[in-house]
Amino acid sequence: MPNQRAWSVLGSLSLLGLAACGGADGPQQSQNVEQSTGKASLLATACSGCHSDVSTGIASLQGYSVEALQLSLSNYKSDAEGTTVMHRLARGYSETDIALISQYLGAEDLE
Amino acid sequence: MKSPIISRRGLIQTGLLGLGGLALPLNALSQSNASIVIVGGGFGGASAGRTLKDLLPSAEITLIEANANYTACPFSNLVIATERPLSAQEFSYDRLQAAGISIISARATSVDASGQIVELQDGSQVPYDRLILSPGVDMRWGALEGYSQEAAERHPHAWKAGAQTQLLRDQLVALEDGENVVMTVPPAPYRCPPGPYERASMIAHYLKTNRPRSKLIILDAKDSFSKMALFQEAWAEHYPDHLEWRGALDDGAVSRVDANLKTVYTDFDELSAAVINVIPPQKAGQIADAAGVSDQTGWCPIDPLSFESKLQPKVHVIGDATIAAPMPKSAFSANLQAKVCAFAVARLLSDLEPIATTLANTCYSYTTPDEAISIAGVYSNVGGQLSSVSGAGGVSPLNGDKAVRQAEAAQAAHWFQTITNEAFG
Repeated sequence: MPNQRAWSVLGSLSLLGLAACGGADGPQQSQNVEQSTGKASLLATACSGCHSDVSTGIASLQGYSVEALQLSLSNYKSDAEGTTVMHRLARGYSETDIALISQYLGAEDLE
Repeated sequence: MKSPIISRRGLIQTGLLGLGGLALPLNALSQSNASIVIVGGGFGGASAGRTLKDLLPSAEITLIEANANYTACPFSNLVIATERPLSAQEFSYDRLQAAGISIISARATSVDASGQIVELQDGSQVPYDRLILSPGVDMRWGALEGYSQEAAERHPHAWKAGAQTQLLRDQLVALEDGENVVMTVPPAPYRCPPGPYERASMIAHYLKTNRPRSKLIILDAKDSFSKMALFQEAWAEHYPDHLEWRGALDDGAVSRVDANLKTVYTDFDELSAAVINVIPPQKAGQIADAAGVSDQTGWCPIDPLSFESKLQPKVHVIGDATIAAPMPKSAFSANLQAKVCAFAVARLLSDLEPIATTLANTCYSYTTPDEAISIAGVYSNVGGQLSSVSGAGGVSPLNGDKAVRQAEAAQAAHWFQTITNEAFG
């Protein structure tokens, strides 16, 4: 993946299984919008403000399973002693939010 | 794409015309024809444009921006302290154009919200189905006596990055050892709440290193500020002889500036200095007034679900110009608001209701060139207002060791690279 943008765009496409889809007819496009702008992608779009496809100061989220992401976010949320930015942010998300974000970003194969 | 006339290029490129318009259901046709116009190419506007192009590849996305390039404010305090070149702050719109976004290099001067038309300085008109304004801030000239646009050419605010940043840097470099610097800070709200204190840290670092007999005096209209305890801890450690902060209770509020005398006045005191950095009171960028989306506060009330203006239909406002408290006026906020707004606009153009979500913010501030502190917040946009999620957010730990501060400095650098890439890269 050459850059962050490709990562975020392909991430959303792969969720929908639409990577090879070009133009679409009306109802399908509307449905695409419904899914690509739905709850999970809307929550997860906050992540790409900091996380890119490379890990320097901040870890890349690529290559993690849904379970690994969910466990990590839950640990951040429940660690009362934690002081990092991710501890402070994770406390604001419900376990349901965390599951949705993890399912969205933990897409197995970005192709 | 310099022409203000909306072209059909987007449609042709995506091949939809080749499918034959007659074969398309009506609502898809109107959707593919949708014209979304964005005014302002900062973190908000650029991010909105790119997100919309991803979500609605066949829509016509137009970005109207007066400047040929964007000069970013985050990290510009490092430029002032000569720790970073100004060129590292500059970004072009080439990649947006390559993505199929039409760039109009012109100043938008007014909006006819009922006619759904943006008017440009040359008189040409750009129609829209949905308008997104991301105008940033303008200085509230006249709010601080004696501080005019002309005065700002001699005593820079440097609160919009670019020539003003360079001017303040040049003045700092020209300072004789033993001469002082004064910075004035306005009442909230203003762009980047912790920004003045990061700048103070960077200027104090420069003085300590290069002009050891000089000192920075901060005159503040407030008694408390973002990350206050952390900044004061860092100042006590690093700059005890080079930085002095006076809050409002200590007669810190500046009421007048005399540009010729290089003097600022508080209620009971006057201070002269070789370099005076006046951060003046601010308001939403001018086009917000012209569009009728700002209220008597000077800022723009919005529906936090879609960032649609509460004052004008089909006009959305994002970024620093909005009334979005408790979300701060930050680049992170502008970028995320842009994405949430873009999702909502895509839904509205597809006959779907915008949905509630959880928003966040992270702001890093440097206290030395290799140490930083942070603040984070999490916000819900349910029930017509943004509110902080209780138990979440907050600042870096006090008494954090150097490794913690250095880790956050590395995070800050990574964040800047990521967010500028998302907007412009």
